[in-house]
Amino acid sequence: MDLIFSLTLNGLATGMLFFLLAAGLTLIFGLMDVLNFAHGGLFAWGAFTGVWIYGLSGNFFVGILGAIVAGLVLGAITEYLIIKPVYGNHIQQILITLGFMLVLTEMLKVVYGPNQRAAQPPEYLDGSFTIGDVTIIKYRLFIILMGIIIFALTSYVLKKTKIGLIVRAGVMNKEMVQALGINIRLIFLAVFMVGSAMAALGGFLFAPYSGVIYAEIGLDYGIFAFIVVVIGGMGSLSGSLMAALLVGLAQAYMQYYVPSLALAVNMLLMAAVLLFRPQGLFSVKGVSTK
Amino acid sequence: MRQLGKVQISTWVYLLFGCLLAVVPFVYDNLSMLFLIIQIFIFGIFAMSYDLLLGYTGIVSFGHAMFFGVGAYGVSIVLERNEPTLFFLILGILVALGAAAIISFIAGVLTLRLKSHFYAMLTLALAGLFLVAAEKMRSLTGGSDGLIFTIPDFFKDRTNMYLLALISLVVIFFSLRRLTNSPLGRVLVAIRENEQRTMSLGYKIFPYKVIISVISGVVAAFGGVLYALSIRFIDTTVFAVDVTLDALLMTIIGGVGTLIGPIIGAGLIEYAHHFLSELSDVHWIFERWIILFGIVYILVVIFFPMGIAGSIKNMYMKRKHKKEAKVQQKDNQIAS
Repeated sequence: MDLIFSLTLNGLATGMLFFLLAAGLTLIFGLMDVLNFAHGGLFAWGAFTGVWIYGLSGNFFVGILGAIVAGLVLGAITEYLIIKPVYGNHIQQILITLGFMLVLTEMLKVVYGPNQRAAQPPEYLDGSFTIGDVTIIKYRLFIILMGIIIFALTSYVLKKTKIGLIVRAGVMNKEMVQALGINIRLIFLAVFMVGSAMAALGGFLFAPYSGVIYAEIGLDYGIFAFIVVVIGGMGSLSGSLMAALLVGLAQAYMQYYVPSLALAVNMLLMAAVLLFRPQGLFSVKGVSTK
Repeated sequence: MRQLGKVQISTWVYLLFGCLLAVVPFVYDNLSMLFLIIQIFIFGIFAMSYDLLLGYTGIVSFGHAMFFGVGAYGVSIVLERNEPTLFFLILGILVALGAAAIISFIAGVLTLRLKSHFYAMLTLALAGLFLVAAEKMRSLTGGSDGLIFTIPDFFKDRTNMYLLALISLVVIFFSLRRLTNSPLGRVLVAIRENEQRTMSLGYKIFPYKVIISVISGVVAAFGGVLYALSIRFIDTTVFAVDVTLDALLMTIIGGVGTLIGPIIGAGLIEYAHHFLSELSDVHWIFERWIILFGIVYILVVIFFPMGIAGSIKNMYMKRKHKKEAKVQQKDNQIAS
């Protein structure tokens, strides 16, 4: 019982991290038909910047803020320099964002040094407590809570505010939104920045969770984000959450029972979804899956 | 065939270059330099196979390393388990190419119906699976320790290896050039330019894509075979994403859809890799040489989507058109 509970908690925490990464990706794709292969790079930048600021200030929440700001700034730069010149050309988008991913990863090594860095959760989140005979690691619980808060916040903005309405309409049919006199480019820039900030936040939360960060986490976790987006369906926020938790749980359980197949299972899951239901398991109706 | 004269000139130029390169090991006997040039030839072959997909058919694959790796492992496993004779070498090559053909056929049938984003991701996932499989199947592949094997004595001599790689490069280059100029190649270019229109002209797109992905896979596997033979050691890094990325950089910077471009790109990148890494003692920034290439690559994608070879070709064509236009103008003036 203890084991199953702890694996589930672990899986949910990993899933929440995947969700933070995948949420931006799925909205960007749904809204602007751009698949950003550099998204994982923002995750890594968030992790390193957050840990650096956290180390400087000694305050965990200042670190979170730093990671979010880094994500916003890098997101704006990415959108302006990299994505804007290649709207509408899928092949060029894939090529250029992948190149940017390389540059981001290497720049990270230049700025923060090529070595991996250790990260610790703050004291009040460190350690664990027990209920009955079940041990709960505080930091994992914290990640799950953060994930729920972010999901609730994003869902609220998407469903209850005017901007959310525009974004949702843009996902459905961006030409129509544009015809109604709304500057969809500006909306897209905002979504891109927010998505990047979520990825950066995910990266920072990941750092104390894994205990150590290195520049290549961007590529490694970027792949998971894609798996999540594909399984959840492009453009669907709640789909991404479900898929992220699914992938996180599969990852946690497989890593315990059959560690050699942990990565392969998720890859196979994605391959199966792509082959039999390319629009994803929880896809939004009306979104073109072109 | 009417353009025979034109085609012949470029063919002669390429052949001349090939012959010049063939003399190199006899004049310039620097072992590490020869090794570098062998690597350039091998990655030239690999990048050409990538160009068939990216440049001629418009398919972006992120899993091309899997064919390279299958080729490398195919020949290595056969040679490691048997005597290093010519017979087993040839058997190993055939096994490698056969395996690559089967795998690329299955992978192609499964994935090529998907749209570009999905295809790129699924190939990435497939190559990832091969990497994991190579690490886990220790009895067959040696896991992350890799495999050490011997090859027939004849090819242990670096000059002979050099000539083998060069001849392979030249033969593959001319065969692929012939292929891309054939009706099949024309259909592929049509698919790249506009899938719907090609379809409405009555061509079934899917079989063409499968054919080219099998050809590309087999050529890539041959590159892997040569790679394994040239270092006589192999480990799981041949399946890494970096291998695919290298091919991508070489093809894009050299020039997509030109075949000669990927070879130029391979030369540039392998050379830069070699020398910039050596410069890392001077300044640590050179250790991060990939940044430089990443930036060049991004600029190329935005401003020179044709790459080096394509841009030169374009300039040449423009100048020729201008000349022709001038001649025509003069003719008109004389006539009036």
